[in-house]
Amino acid sequence: MAALMIGAFYNPHLGAELVRADGIDHLAMADPPAAGDPHWPAIRARYTLLLHDYLGQLSEPLDDRSIERARTLAELYRTPWVAEHFQCLHTVDGTYNLNYVFPPLYSEDFLERFVRNANALRARLDQPLVMENIPGFFDVRASQLPEPVWLRRFFDATQTGFLLDLPHVWLEAHYRGLKPERWLAEFPLDRVVELHVAGVEEDKDLAGPWIAPAEPSDEMLGFLAHAVTRCPQAKAVTFDAFSSSLTAEALFRSVERIRETL
Amino acid sequence: MSDRALQDDVIRALADAPYRKSAAWRTRGLADPDRVERFARFLARHFYHERVVHFFKYSRALARVTGRMPDAGAAIRYLGDLLQYEAAMMVVEAGPRIWREDPESGGEGAGSEEWSAPETVEGTVLLELAYDLPVVLPELLRPWSEVPQAPARSTKLLVARSPRGRVAVARSTDAIAALLGLADGRKTLAELAHGAGLEVRELEQTLHGLVELGAVRFSTGS
Repeated sequence: MAALMIGAFYNPHLGAELVRADGIDHLAMADPPAAGDPHWPAIRARYTLLLHDYLGQLSEPLDDRSIERARTLAELYRTPWVAEHFQCLHTVDGTYNLNYVFPPLYSEDFLERFVRNANALRARLDQPLVMENIPGFFDVRASQLPEPVWLRRFFDATQTGFLLDLPHVWLEAHYRGLKPERWLAEFPLDRVVELHVAGVEEDKDLAGPWIAPAEPSDEMLGFLAHAVTRCPQAKAVTFDAFSSSLTAEALFRSVERIRETL
Repeated sequence: MSDRALQDDVIRALADAPYRKSAAWRTRGLADPDRVERFARFLARHFYHERVVHFFKYSRALARVTGRMPDAGAAIRYLGDLLQYEAAMMVVEAGPRIWREDPESGGEGAGSEEWSAPETVEGTVLLELAYDLPVVLPELLRPWSEVPQAPARSTKLLVARSPRGRVAVARSTDAIAALLGLADGRKTLAELAHGAGLEVRELEQTLHGLVELGAVRFSTGS
């Protein structure tokens, strides 16, 4: 395995600290830089940047405007790959949306849709496409395939890369009452290009843990160390926290602990 | 029912509390109702938290003053206007949006449809403020020790949302306010120009800007 890049998300409120930081190889971009961001030129000049914006949901074909936006951002960032999510969060007619990542039904019909639309997007991009797994808090009974099988078939049919979000796998294992390592082994780890790691926190609505812009626990870092040994094609690990509440100390300490773990 | 329609049904259940309680949803038995309810509440809290943080960032910048001084209101005379402005931004942003272009439509924006029967877009807000907030807003987000002050002068602001959900704010005038009140999708350009006290050419320029902001659209088929 080649040396892994260790990085974080670009949090604009920490721009000044990130410009001066050591030990961060890359920054993932969840939003385009604000017009008045004084740190953006230095950030762009200094870091490898990964496009990780919302481009669209691949249950439908991306329209020309969305593809052009993706191409423009990819060029601006000089990104080595373009990331999108396995998500379907707004209705076909746009009347309802969730404003939060939400997985599709794991069915044959949705598999065919995602394969077709991902291949179409990939053909319009100059960089490889990677796709990130999204956790489900509940199973929908109309799903026909286990998520890892659905993902395996998707990657086989599209030759896209896998952005493995480890807390997402950990959460699903938690709510299924499985050991995370056992659930992880079901996923197509040979396709993994990038890994996300972060903390989880108790959520009072869910009455259990959920994704949070928090430092990874020792347990999560142990899970990362385990996962990385099973992802032979992995190129990068990203501390997945993007929030105005994130402090510079938490970001830098997390990246440092990830580096120590690996 | 197609898988896509089933997914839409799940999305609607998570986004629409009355539907979630309806027999139409509950009898389908698509998912554990307790889990769906919990996740829906989580999504709602997340939605509002994210927007409160974003749209009330100016109030947040003032919190160190308002939190420490009982008479802070006297030091920040424009606080009422500011809260009105922030609330308007949040409400305007919450409306429906186009997520994906219909390939058979001509797109959005000025010039995409015939210039007839302009109509004020539902959700567009016109604020009438006692203080000139646009002067002070950038100052609030920079480091300061003395509370930045807004000039006390009557100010009209237009807050609108584009079809794709971008919220924009622009200074408004009496003519624009009159135009927004009159544009009902039925009146002709000449009628609007007369009502708003504008020349037709001036009206067209104004409408162009309002369409770009998302405050006005043009009815089709009239």
